[in-house]
Amino acid sequence: MAARTAPEAVPLFAIVAGLPGKTEKSAFLTLVPPVLTGEVVWCILFTGCIRLMRMRLAELLEGLVELLEWLSPWAERRVPCSVRRLPWAVRRGVGRVGPVGRVGRVGRMKPMDKERVMSRYDVIVVGAGNGGLTAAATLAKAGVATLLLERHSVPGGCATSFCRGRFEFEVALHQLSGLGTAENPGPLRAVFEGLEVLDQLDLIVMEELYRTVGPDGMELTLTADRNAVIAELQRRFPHEKEAIAAFFEFLAAFFMEVVGLFYLKDPAPSRDSYPRAFSCLLKTTQEVLDQFFKDPVLCRALTAYWGYLGLPPRRMPFVDWAMMFLAYIEYKPQHIRGGSQMLSAALADTFLKYGGVVRYNCGAARIVVRDGQVEGVVDDQGELHLAKHVISNASRITTYADLIGREHLPDAAFAEMRGSSIGASAVTVYAGFDQSPDALGITHTTTFIGGCGSQDEEYEATRRLGCHDTTGLALTCYTRMDGGFSPPGTTQAALIMLQYADPWFKVPPEQYAAEKYKAADAMLARAEAVYPGLRDHLEEMEISSPITHLRYLGHPGGAFYGFDQHVKDSASFVSPKPPVDGLYLAGAWATSGGFQPTLDSGVRAARQVLKQLGK
Amino acid sequence: MKQEILQQFDGYQDVMKEIEAARKFGTDYAGFKGRVAAWIDRYHPARLTLRIGDILEETASTRTLRLVAPDRPLPPFQAGQYLALALRFGQVRTGRPYSISSSPRNTGYYDITVRRVPDGLVSGHLLDHVRVGDALESAGPAGTFVHNPVFHGNALVYIAGGSGIAPFMSMIRETLDCGLDRDILLLYGNRAADDVIFHAELTRLASRFENFRYVPVLEERGALNPPWPCQKGYITRDLLREAVGDLTCRMFYMCGPAALYDFCRRELEALGVPPRRIRQEAYGPPNHISQYPGWPEAVTEDATFRVTVKGSAPIPAHAGETLLTALERGGFAVPSQCRSGECSLCRVRLVSGAVYQPPTVLLRAADRRFGYIHSCAAYPLEDLCVEV
Repeated sequence: MAARTAPEAVPLFAIVAGLPGKTEKSAFLTLVPPVLTGEVVWCILFTGCIRLMRMRLAELLEGLVELLEWLSPWAERRVPCSVRRLPWAVRRGVGRVGPVGRVGRVGRMKPMDKERVMSRYDVIVVGAGNGGLTAAATLAKAGVATLLLERHSVPGGCATSFCRGRFEFEVALHQLSGLGTAENPGPLRAVFEGLEVLDQLDLIVMEELYRTVGPDGMELTLTADRNAVIAELQRRFPHEKEAIAAFFEFLAAFFMEVVGLFYLKDPAPSRDSYPRAFSCLLKTTQEVLDQFFKDPVLCRALTAYWGYLGLPPRRMPFVDWAMMFLAYIEYKPQHIRGGSQMLSAALADTFLKYGGVVRYNCGAARIVVRDGQVEGVVDDQGELHLAKHVISNASRITTYADLIGREHLPDAAFAEMRGSSIGASAVTVYAGFDQSPDALGITHTTTFIGGCGSQDEEYEATRRLGCHDTTGLALTCYTRMDGGFSPPGTTQAALIMLQYADPWFKVPPEQYAAEKYKAADAMLARAEAVYPGLRDHLEEMEISSPITHLRYLGHPGGAFYGFDQHVKDSASFVSPKPPVDGLYLAGAWATSGGFQPTLDSGVRAARQVLKQLGK
Repeated sequence: MKQEILQQFDGYQDVMKEIEAARKFGTDYAGFKGRVAAWIDRYHPARLTLRIGDILEETASTRTLRLVAPDRPLPPFQAGQYLALALRFGQVRTGRPYSISSSPRNTGYYDITVRRVPDGLVSGHLLDHVRVGDALESAGPAGTFVHNPVFHGNALVYIAGGSGIAPFMSMIRETLDCGLDRDILLLYGNRAADDVIFHAELTRLASRFENFRYVPVLEERGALNPPWPCQKGYITRDLLREAVGDLTCRMFYMCGPAALYDFCRRELEALGVPPRRIRQEAYGPPNHISQYPGWPEAVTEDATFRVTVKGSAPIPAHAGETLLTALERGGFAVPSQCRSGECSLCRVRLVSGAVYQPPTVLLRAADRRFGYIHSCAAYPLEDLCVEV
C-alpha cells in the first residue's frame, strides 16, 4: 500500500471545485496514516477541502465522496494514530481526529461555531460519578468509542476518598446494598461481574444492619437476618408481637409483587395478582406502618434508614423504604476494602482497559444540540468533541439549564422538573482518632443517634442551619470493618447529619468556616453523649457542608440524592423519554440517589445507547 | 409502568393532584443557569485573577506582595491557608503555593510573603520582575493547616522556620486583631538576625498583648533590631520545655523546611507530645531527597532518565527532582496546587518504570493499587512512561 504515492494536490483542488453535489450529509473523510509517503499531499488536500467548505460550498461535498472513492486505496478506516503525531495543519484545521483516527464527518463542521473540533466519539459521558463510570465502562466493554470527562483529578464523584495525616477518609459510602454473595447474588453483583470489578474488590459483608440509640434511652441493634430481626423486635416490643409477624409477611409478599411488576415487567398486572402493590405502592412509609403498628417507638426503630433516602417516613414512599430494608436484610450490607474510591478506580480501570479515553481535570461546558439532536460536547477548555450520544452524569438541572440551555429544549423538559424540589445535602464530620474503636466505645459499624423529638422534627432540623437537639445523626465507623484506612490502634469514622443547602447560602462567606466548626462542634457534643470522651482523641478532622458537596459534585444544593423522592417524584410519574435525541441521564438525578441506584442507572443508560447503536 | 395500569393503584388521583399543584407552584429551574458555578466561584474559584496592589520590603531577601482583585470580592480563607499561583515562563507552565500572611478578617487583599530561594525560578521572578499593577493568576485559597476550634484548644505553640512564618503571621494577626481567646507562643527559627521576617511587628505585638509570646531563635550570633531577647541555636527539646512549660494541653503547629520538621517532630515526640497534638504544613519538596529512608543507593540525584508521556517524545528527568518539575519543563501543563504530595491535583498514571515516593505523600489506597502517583512527590528511578 505504501508503495503508491498520492496524487498531486493542485489538480485535486480542481477536481473538487468542479464536482457537482447536493447533500452535505454524506461526506466522510478518512485519514491515511501519516507514515504513508503521501502524507504531506494528503494534508494539503484535506485542509484545502476544509477551506472550500468553510466558504459554504457545501454542495461540493458529495463530489468529495466520489473523490474519496477514487482515492480509496490510500484510505483506511480506523487507522490508529495519535493526535500529537498528526501534522500541524490537520490538528489546527477541522481535523476530526478520533481516539483511533476514526472516520470523521466534515459536512457540518462549518456551523459548529468557533470551537476547535478535537475528536469524535460514539458516546461522550459527562462526569465520572457512579452512574458515569458504570455507563462508560459498559460502553467501552461493548467496543464503543467512548470519551469520559471528569472535572476533578480523581474518578468517583461521591464515591471518593481523601487523605489527611495518617488517615484516609471515605467520603460517601456507608453500606453498599444489593450485592449479595456468590451463593445468594443480589442485582448489583451481575453489574460488578459484567464490568470486571468484582475480582478487583475485596468485599466485607456486614452481619449487622444498625444500632439505633433513641432519645428516650431506647437502644436496639438489628442483625442482617430476617428471622433475627423479627425475633429481636418481638422481644423488645412484645405488645406488637402478632403485628410484627404479620408485617414481615406482608413485606416479603409486597417485595415479590414489586419485583414482578417492575423487574420482571408483568405485561398484564391486576389487583387480584398484586393486591399489596395496588394498595400500597403509592403510599408513604408511615401510612403503611400505621396499618400494622400502634407503638411509635417501634416504627422509629424500623425506619432508622430514612436518612439513606432523604425523607422521613411520613414523606418517604413505602416502596422505597421497603425495597431498601428488605434488600439490606436479604443481601446484607457490604463494605469495600479501601472504600468506594476503590470501586471507582476499578471501574475506571475497566474503562481504560477496553480502550476508553478519560480526561481528568476537564469538565463539560456545553452539550451541543441542534434540531433536537445531540451533536457533541464542548469541554471547559473550549474543545469540541463530536458524538451523537451523550450520557450526562451531571444533575438534571445542570444538564438542562447550563449544559444544553433552555433554547435547545422543549418546554416540557423544564415543566416536568418544576414539580420537583432539590433534595437534601449533609454536614459530615470526617474524624480520625488516635485510639481503637473498642477503646473509644464504638461497638458497631453503623449507629443512628436519634434526635430528642420525632422523626418529623429530625427532618425539620435538616432545614435549619447547624446541629440541634432534634437533629438525627449517623455514625459510621469504617475501622470496625476495615483497618486499612489508618494505622493500627487508630479509628476512622464519619458523623453525618442531613442538611438542606438553603440556610448555608444565607451565611456570609467570611462566617462560613465558623459555621462549619459550630455545626461540627454541636454534632460531636451529641455523639459524646453516646461515646463519652470522643473529642479528646481527635487527631484529624475535616468537615463537609452542603456547599462542599455543591463544590465537588456540581449539584444544585449539594444534593447528592438528587431531587427529593416523594411518591409523586417516583420514576413512574417521570417521562422516560429524554427531551432531545441522543441525551441520556445517569446518576442520582436520573432516578433516585444512593450507590445501588446510581451504579445501576449508568448501566441502564449505556444499554439504551447500545440499543440505539444497534449493538 | 403504563399510566393506564398505574391509574388503578390506590391513591393515584391524589398523587396526580399533588403533581399538578407542585408544578403550578414549583420552581423554574431554567433560572438556575450559572447558579452552581456562581456559588463555587464565590467560595472556591478555580481561577482568580489578582493584581499586585503594593509591594512591601520585609528583609533583604523577602518581599510581601499585596494582592487585590479589581473586579470581584476576594473569596474567604482561613488563617494558615495558601494561594497556589499559576505562572508561565515561555513554554513552561508551573505553579507555587504561597501561604497568605494577612489576616482573613481583612477582606480587601491577600498578602503573600516571598523569600528568595537560591536559583529559584518563581521566587526570582516575584522578587525581581513583578511590579505594582501586574496581574497574577492563582487558584482560590486552599490548605488544611488551620486552627480547628473543635479540638485544637486555645493554647497554641507555633514553630516557624524562615519563610514558614507566613501562615502564622495570618493566625497571629487574626487572633490579636479580633481579640480571640487564644494563647500563642511563637518560636521562630532563622539562620541570622537579618533573616527574621516581620520582626518589628512581632515585637510590637508581643509587647502589647499578654496572650502572645515571641521567641526568636538564631543559629548565628547577631543583633536583632529592634532589640528583643532571643535564643541561640535550634528549637531543641530543652528550649521547648523551658519556653512552653506545661506541654500536655498544647497544640503544636510547624511550618518551615523539611529539616525543621524532621528535627522538631523528634524533639516533640521525645517530650511525650502525642502525634495528634502536632500539625505540620506542606512545604514543598525536600532539598535532598536521596537522604530519605527507602531511597535506593544505586541511584544518585543527578542521574537522568527518559520520561515518556503517552503519545509524545520523551523528555529528560533527574532523579533528584520531582516528576512534576520534569513534566513542566518538558512543556506539559499539569494541574498542581500544594506541590507537596497532599492535594492530589497533579495525579498521573504510571504506565511503566519505578519512582521513589517519600513517606509523606498522601496517596489514596486505590491510587496505590491502580498505579497512580502524585507527580509532585514522585522521583524517577528509571525510565518512565506516564499518562497525564
